[in-house]
Amino acid sequence: MFKNLIKESTGKSPWLFHINAGSCNGCDIELVSVLTPRYDAERLGFKLTGSPRHADIVVVTGPVTAQSLDRVLRTISQVPEPRCIVTMGSCPQSGNVFRGSYAIAGPLSKYVHVDVDVAGCTPKPEAVIDGLALATKILAEKRGQME
Amino acid sequence: MDFPFLKEAVTGLFTKSSCAMYPAVPSEAAPNYRGRIVYHPDKCINCMLCERVCSGNAITHTIEKTDEGDKITRTFYLGSCTFCATCMDFCGHGAIEFTRDYHMIATKEEDLMVSGSFIKKPPVKKPVPPKPAAAPAAAPAPKAEEKDAEACKPDKPVEAPKAEAAPVAEVKPRDDGKPVQDPAKCVYCTLCAKKCPAGALTVDRAAKTWVLDEDICVGCGTCAEACPKKAILI
Repeated sequence: MFKNLIKESTGKSPWLFHINAGSCNGCDIELVSVLTPRYDAERLGFKLTGSPRHADIVVVTGPVTAQSLDRVLRTISQVPEPRCIVTMGSCPQSGNVFRGSYAIAGPLSKYVHVDVDVAGCTPKPEAVIDGLALATKILAEKRGQME
Repeated sequence: MDFPFLKEAVTGLFTKSSCAMYPAVPSEAAPNYRGRIVYHPDKCINCMLCERVCSGNAITHTIEKTDEGDKITRTFYLGSCTFCATCMDFCGHGAIEFTRDYHMIATKEEDLMVSGSFIKKPPVKKPVPPKPAAAPAAAPAPKAEEKDAEACKPDKPVEAPKAEAAPVAEVKPRDDGKPVQDPAKCVYCTLCAKKCPAGALTVDRAAKTWVLDEDICVGCGTCAEACPKKAILI
């Protein structure tokens, strides 16, 4: 009985962990606006956590700089399976205007499997909510496969 | 006992929520929002100005040789785009358009590609107008490229050359971003006319004229880049 309860509630309320991999802070501000009362993703069950070990969805912003690469990978490896990695903005997908710089180790998809890309520079909060909703669906699929 | 916020707490239970109820209530972007790119290949002249001004290197193209001409496929990768709209501003033919669609969510990279292709026909070879002296003079060993350039030149009457007043006079770049020729440096090799994507330049090797059709020119700067003598200022 408890297992069913946990299964249902974890599916309805995925917890987010946000990694800034050298972002310009534009995407970070938009992610905060998604979680705060204007768009209030918490009414849909998304909750920001302070620890990667509690997270289901990892949101990565920024072009993955050479300095942050090791930290990003170490943080992501601490997130328990099943996990869903969402890239937010153009930077983690391609490097954007920073592409070709000696300080950029990205794109993120070179190192880990990325589940959802939310394009835009920066994406609108509505687009982020859509991306997180898609990530929840992928998470449910992954959870089903693990059982 | 005092409950300072009791009234607000009770009224708050019955008032409407102040957040944007996004998935339930669809939301539209602001009037000039720059979202997903729409590319109109039928308007494109392949001047490649958009690719040169793109800060995120999001615009690429491939060229495929077909029987009808070169098939040019231009791809916009939205995952590398900053949505600055510089490409749209520089496009003289309105081939790039930004829509208000902000739903750019993908699980694969291909979902973020916007592409379009068109066939660029080779220049129509018009019959060479009879020239009494010039044609035989160039005849002995003309390169194939030069021949093409002369052949594709339109046979309309050539306007008076623009900046041929005095060879010593210094040529200044124009304010509107269109090219200007320095007659002191120009060798009339016709390379600029061949490279011009819009076909706005008419260069006559024999008559030593360099004519720009200002209505067609988009100011892309391809001619200045192609010029081996740096005789075109832009």
